[in-house]
Amino acid sequence: MKKITLTKQIIFYIALISIWQLVSMTNIWPNNLFPSPYEVAEDLVYTASDGSLFFGIGTSILRLIVGLAIAIAGGMILGIFMARVEIVNQTIGSLVLGLQSIPSVAWVPLAILWFGLTDGGIIFVTAIGSMFSVTIATYNGVKNINPHYIEAARNMGAKGTQLATYVLIPAAFPYLISGFKQGWAFAWRGVIGAELLFSFLGLGFLLNVGRQLNDISQVFAIMLVIMMVGIAIDGIIFKRLENKVMSRWGLR
Amino acid sequence: MTKLEAKNIVKYFKHDSHRLTALGGVNLQIEDGEFVCLVGPSGCGKSTFLRIVAGLETPDEGEILFDGKPVTTTGPERIIVFQEGALFPWLKVQDNVEFGLKMAGIPKEERSQISKRYLDMMQLTKFADSYTYQLSTGMKQRVAIARALVMDPDVLLMDEPFAALDAQTRDLLLVEMQLIWEKTKKTILFVTHNVTEATVLGTKVAVFSNRPSTIKKIINVDYKRPRLVEDQNLFPLQQEILSELRPEVKKS
Repeated sequence: MKKITLTKQIIFYIALISIWQLVSMTNIWPNNLFPSPYEVAEDLVYTASDGSLFFGIGTSILRLIVGLAIAIAGGMILGIFMARVEIVNQTIGSLVLGLQSIPSVAWVPLAILWFGLTDGGIIFVTAIGSMFSVTIATYNGVKNINPHYIEAARNMGAKGTQLATYVLIPAAFPYLISGFKQGWAFAWRGVIGAELLFSFLGLGFLLNVGRQLNDISQVFAIMLVIMMVGIAIDGIIFKRLENKVMSRWGLR
Repeated sequence: MTKLEAKNIVKYFKHDSHRLTALGGVNLQIEDGEFVCLVGPSGCGKSTFLRIVAGLETPDEGEILFDGKPVTTTGPERIIVFQEGALFPWLKVQDNVEFGLKMAGIPKEERSQISKRYLDMMQLTKFADSYTYQLSTGMKQRVAIARALVMDPDVLLMDEPFAALDAQTRDLLLVEMQLIWEKTKKTILFVTHNVTEATVLGTKVAVFSNRPSTIKKIINVDYKRPRLVEDQNLFPLQQEILSELRPEVKKS
């Protein structure tokens, strides 16, 4: 089953790249606007061989990890308080919904003014752009916990932080996973967006350099890399985590 | 010695706009080491009464005295076992059983010594490393009972713990429950809607009336153990309880 899917995917991508090659050969669009797959690959090899590609990937992922870690920690704490303390939900809860609707790049001007052109600013944008989706997922997760879990735990003497770490978070984990997934997607968009505007190392920066140099194959190449890193993180980390949790919790 | 005393327990429920009196002044005195079964028509509030004894809900009038002191909150001396067990799916069987001990800050080695004893008593030793989704309903209920016994509570509160089990498993657990009671000398309060179950287990059967519920009659069951479900000698008692229950069920 899995093998067949993989075969289909391989055929699809070979076809896609062939069509791309054919289209670029027809010269419908000039070559400096629409590069051929070969030129993009050449550019990838070039940026890889001088190390700038890996340095860019590393920088972006590092920022992602730090920003996402802050977002997950802060988002979970806030979400638990919103779910367990009614007054917090009624007050901060409404603000969270509003803040979540702000696209992460809209935080960039504020971040530049507050942090200057530093890593801190980019991490701020990444964290704040993804924190509230984690908050909302945590809130929903904790609200949907089977109340008997909480009652049984309280009955056995769990309260406060003990209750949160040993019961609320693990019980809400199936929801948290989807929150983390959404959070990571927002964080990745946030990192790249911020790097574009900050123009300070990372994949977003390389993308911007490509634009400034009118180097269309670099733009294509970096976009491909951004996509592939995304697929890799999603597949390696989140898919596995999700599968494990779903079967453990008896949901599959 | 009186272990538990319910004094004129009244509990209201909000139903749409009007107020329903679920418990209309329940009085009950339970001696140390008694096995008291609570039977009544469905919706009469016997489970609510149990939850009030556990301290998970507060009565609108009256009070519960435990060893002569009023109950204000939930505590490890009164442990409740829920109908569906409310086991934590993110923990292995052994960790479920040790949960209360962990909350009490008992070190790991001591915890596993204690839990081994109860896992053994409930014939769960083989399943210590299983997750709950791998267990049958009967096994889960054994784990739930072990998890409660580990706390060494003075009073065990059981809320229709065998209602979801198939007949064979239930009959087996009814015998085991009697052995546990004889071995541990716990005071047990056991909610059930099954009259046979009540006469097999209880030293006393308290019959609840329909809403607003009070205790209509207390019937002593003075008969040798272990009692079996098919024992004809319990039949007259079961008829007596049913004749008390029938008019109440009709009213509901």
